[in-house]
Amino acid sequence: MAEKKEYRGSIHQRQKELMLTWYDKLNQAAETGNPPTVSMMISGNCVELLEGFGAVPIYPEVNALQLAIRHQSLDPILAAEELGYAADNCAYVKADIGCILKGITPTEGKLPTPTLILCNFVGCNTYLKWFEHTAKLQKAPLYVIDVPFMRADEPTLADVDYVVKQLQETVKKLEQLTGRKFDYDRFQQAVECSSRTEELWSQIKHLARRRPSPFDAYFDAITLMGPLYVYRAKPEGVEFFEAALAELQSKCDAGKGVYEQEHFRVVMEGPPPYPYFRTFRDMFAKWQACAVASTYSTVGGLWEFGFRHDPAKPFESVAMHMIAQNVTNRNYLQRYEQIRRYVEDWNADGVIIHFVKSCRLFSAGQGDMRDYFTKQLGVPTLYIESDLEDPRYFAEAQTRNRIDAFFESLEHAKATASVRSA
Amino acid sequence: MRIAAGVDVGSTQAKAVIMSDNGGLKILGRALVDTGANVQRAAERAFDSCCQAADLRTGDVGMVVGTGYGRYKIAFGNTQMTEITCHAKGASFLCPGTRTVIDMGGQDSKAISVGASGEVLDFVMNDKCAAGTGRFLANSAEVMGISLDEVGPLSLQAKHPVKIATVCTVFVESDILSYLAQGKTAEDVLGGVHIAIAKRTLSLARRLNIEPEITMTGGVARNIGMVWALETVLGKKMQVSPDAQYMGAVGAALFGLEKLDQSFETGVWRGDHAVSGGH
Amino acid sequence: MNKLERTFDICSGLDFPTVSEWKQIHPGGKAIAYFPVYAPTELIHAAGMLPVGLSGAGDRLDIQHADARFGSFICSIVKTTLEMGLTGRLDPFDGFLFSTICDSARNLCFVMKRNFPNMYVDFLHLPHNPSSPAAAQFLVNEYRRVLAELERLAGRTVSDDALRNSIVLYNRNRALIRELYRLRTLRPQQIPTWELYQLVRMGNFLPVEEHSAQLEAALAGFQSRPAKPRDSIRIAVEGSFCEQPPLTLIRLIEDAGCYIVDDDFVIGQSWFDSDVPADGDPVQALASSYLDRSVYSSVRHDFRKPRWDGLVEKVRRTRADAVLFLIAKFCEPAYFDYVPYKEELERAGIPHLQLEFEEKSFTFDRLRTEIETFVESLIFD
Repeated sequence: MAEKKEYRGSIHQRQKELMLTWYDKLNQAAETGNPPTVSMMISGNCVELLEGFGAVPIYPEVNALQLAIRHQSLDPILAAEELGYAADNCAYVKADIGCILKGITPTEGKLPTPTLILCNFVGCNTYLKWFEHTAKLQKAPLYVIDVPFMRADEPTLADVDYVVKQLQETVKKLEQLTGRKFDYDRFQQAVECSSRTEELWSQIKHLARRRPSPFDAYFDAITLMGPLYVYRAKPEGVEFFEAALAELQSKCDAGKGVYEQEHFRVVMEGPPPYPYFRTFRDMFAKWQACAVASTYSTVGGLWEFGFRHDPAKPFESVAMHMIAQNVTNRNYLQRYEQIRRYVEDWNADGVIIHFVKSCRLFSAGQGDMRDYFTKQLGVPTLYIESDLEDPRYFAEAQTRNRIDAFFESLEHAKATASVRSA
Repeated sequence: MRIAAGVDVGSTQAKAVIMSDNGGLKILGRALVDTGANVQRAAERAFDSCCQAADLRTGDVGMVVGTGYGRYKIAFGNTQMTEITCHAKGASFLCPGTRTVIDMGGQDSKAISVGASGEVLDFVMNDKCAAGTGRFLANSAEVMGISLDEVGPLSLQAKHPVKIATVCTVFVESDILSYLAQGKTAEDVLGGVHIAIAKRTLSLARRLNIEPEITMTGGVARNIGMVWALETVLGKKMQVSPDAQYMGAVGAALFGLEKLDQSFETGVWRGDHAVSGGH
Repeated sequence: MNKLERTFDICSGLDFPTVSEWKQIHPGGKAIAYFPVYAPTELIHAAGMLPVGLSGAGDRLDIQHADARFGSFICSIVKTTLEMGLTGRLDPFDGFLFSTICDSARNLCFVMKRNFPNMYVDFLHLPHNPSSPAAAQFLVNEYRRVLAELERLAGRTVSDDALRNSIVLYNRNRALIRELYRLRTLRPQQIPTWELYQLVRMGNFLPVEEHSAQLEAALAGFQSRPAKPRDSIRIAVEGSFCEQPPLTLIRLIEDAGCYIVDDDFVIGQSWFDSDVPADGDPVQALASSYLDRSVYSSVRHDFRKPRWDGLVEKVRRTRADAVLFLIAKFCEPAYFDYVPYKEELERAGIPHLQLEFEEKSFTFDRLRTEIETFVESLIFD
């Protein structure tokens, strides 16, 4: 029978606790009005800024994916569609709007109306509409941080300046809304915390370069990612990732991988089908295929190539992260480059491109990405399709079929190569 | 003498082929049945009919390899492989020099880049919807009140094929009715339908490097209008074997023979592929 | 086919004949194509180059290569634009300019960059936070950045005077379009939309001076055209700002008993509601005009004033009886905005209908039935 292994060490439990504590805080905010809360998008988030106000982040994307994993996303999606949202609108948005309409939350607790809806516009145009709509629905104040898109290899000084100015405007706005003065020292400490969390996460990501990788850099990384958005700028985050690194390092030292035998190493591109997370994982587990890198796990920041927040330049480095160091604000060709680097430096056998109907930022043009990897680089690439949130768009048999055919082909290639070298 | 069977259970039809290797590879028998509601029974019926056709007892067959969507339900099978891998193998054997396979089945279509030994190098699939599949043709035929066997030959008689914009099987119906209401001939409408399907299929195939020899497989390969439309749009000739429908089963049988020969000992034959109720 | 249609047909030919003609008259001249919706054409013009608006290939091109790169659930215009590129039809151009309209269009920019590595392909980041005092400076810098690239491509520098001159020319062009639209709102019987549409859209292909001359002549012609008002429903069309509906569909809407009294077809052509200042720093003028003089649109975000208020105001100003949301299949921005738009229209008691189109359509029976039903429901209310 197929192996159904996944990483379930003690940090898995700790991750759950941290996320539940966070939802408790939000429930507290819903009931008492304190602490202040700020809604943000995960990609290119400026959670460090919130620390200067003692504010807690709300991440609608996390709410949406939690619902999908628990197979509860369809109802809110349908509610949103009744309101007029189209079949082709992003299902994350629909799920979130539906939850607001129906008062659904991912846990037993309540979610507060945010003190500020802070749209960190980092590439995803849907983010803008999403937050405009929820601001209208919840009658909450909205501010958009317009982050210039990475249209060249590096951001310009003007790009950074524009974002820094908007961050400072955000600070003023939050002072007005919370009645609290911005605590610059706490902000700076938060940036320092972030730099340490990032260093740890980066080292974890680099552990996947070993053979075997001690964790799956897609499925396990996604599970471990939550504390990266919520606790990146807090000491709890640093502790968590210290523990995570230690645990994974010891697995590495013992030569333990995710499976009995690591048969294939792949790079995963695109978000997972959250409503079928388990099933999807099993389709790869059957082949003992381990993800050694993924682009989706860098939505919350691209830390493995050296960038760190700099407490000496807190506003500037927060701006730099928002502009250049998250996958959504980077241009499509930079994503190709990122994947290529993973294939080469993390030693992967192939690339799996998962097209999701909801997300055009990730998916529009993945055919060209496939063309680049197969025709230009000769890297075996598999293209599969479903959705990240809507359970109606997953064809299990067809997806399994494509995955099986892909690994059959890789297996034959391996066998032929070993016969030749024998 | 080694004898192996390939059983290809698709959503509409189940096909079986028995082959032998006795100093040369040979097809001993073929069978085709409608799948119907019970996949397992369809597989059994196909296999039994095939044994009869080959004048063999089921016990004479040393290895049964299942393929197609129903491959996990073939309880009597020894192992299974995807039909992508099997089509590549079968096409390579029946049409030597095959480097690209274009498979148009009842419900899905695919294109496969094939290596010199019949191995899959790359593939693309349309398994999401009926556009470019036999279903599209069947629907169109029904809307026009024409039998499926006639659509191909009729399409070849088109003088001015109509322009079909949609690839949706459902929406093409209203397009067809619209054109017929405008007085277009059935030939012209069918000509347009075939060209639209060909364009759609080749659009899919172009994600790969389309290299000759190009072999067409699957049930739709029996439609001469479709073959012509594909060749016209592609600008190249294609190979079509009379066994086009059996390609998957042939490939599966070939893998079965290799397994018997132990010439292909890979992880692919791990126990988890053998079926005990499927996944 | 009358003269207008023939002209339009020629201009919108897939091989961009107007570009080749212009290049013959201006040897060594360069042409820059821009993807919808808005582009600062003055910058291109001032650099001595011809700006051409891309609008997809309509129903003239089979997508045979582009859908290998862009899969399902993506609008047609992205694919037909790439298809044109992959089949050599964009060869007359020396560069492409894209901007922040939506995720699909943005990804297209970089796919084009990969596939046409010797072309100048640029992405303009238009600001989505005009409430920030820093936005104006940012856009000035962004425009100067693009201008520097255009100068490099053109092999010459662009003086402020040249830019001011271009602004004057484009102001005139936009003013003419606004005037035509105003006249149509007042007396729609004199300006059928299927004619106005072609006239305005030709601005995508023609040098601005030539286009303005055509518009002037057309305006005079329309003003003196005798026409009796029909008993038609006045509708405002919303949602067709990027991928364009087939001309047949526009005619069909009018034939079904509607006067289109306002629309956002090729809205990039008349993006400003008043003249861009032609004195002072011209780049500043363009930048501040983008922030403060732009019409509302689903591809521009300005949370100082919601777009849905803009829609209701427009309906009132043009005395439209109803709104027709004419949305391109898979158009994400339009589909998102439909919800708050619809909400506000309902609150204001304004009837509306939503229809989906694709630029490539050959049969229109279903759409005709829906529009006719809608018109009937309004007449017999």
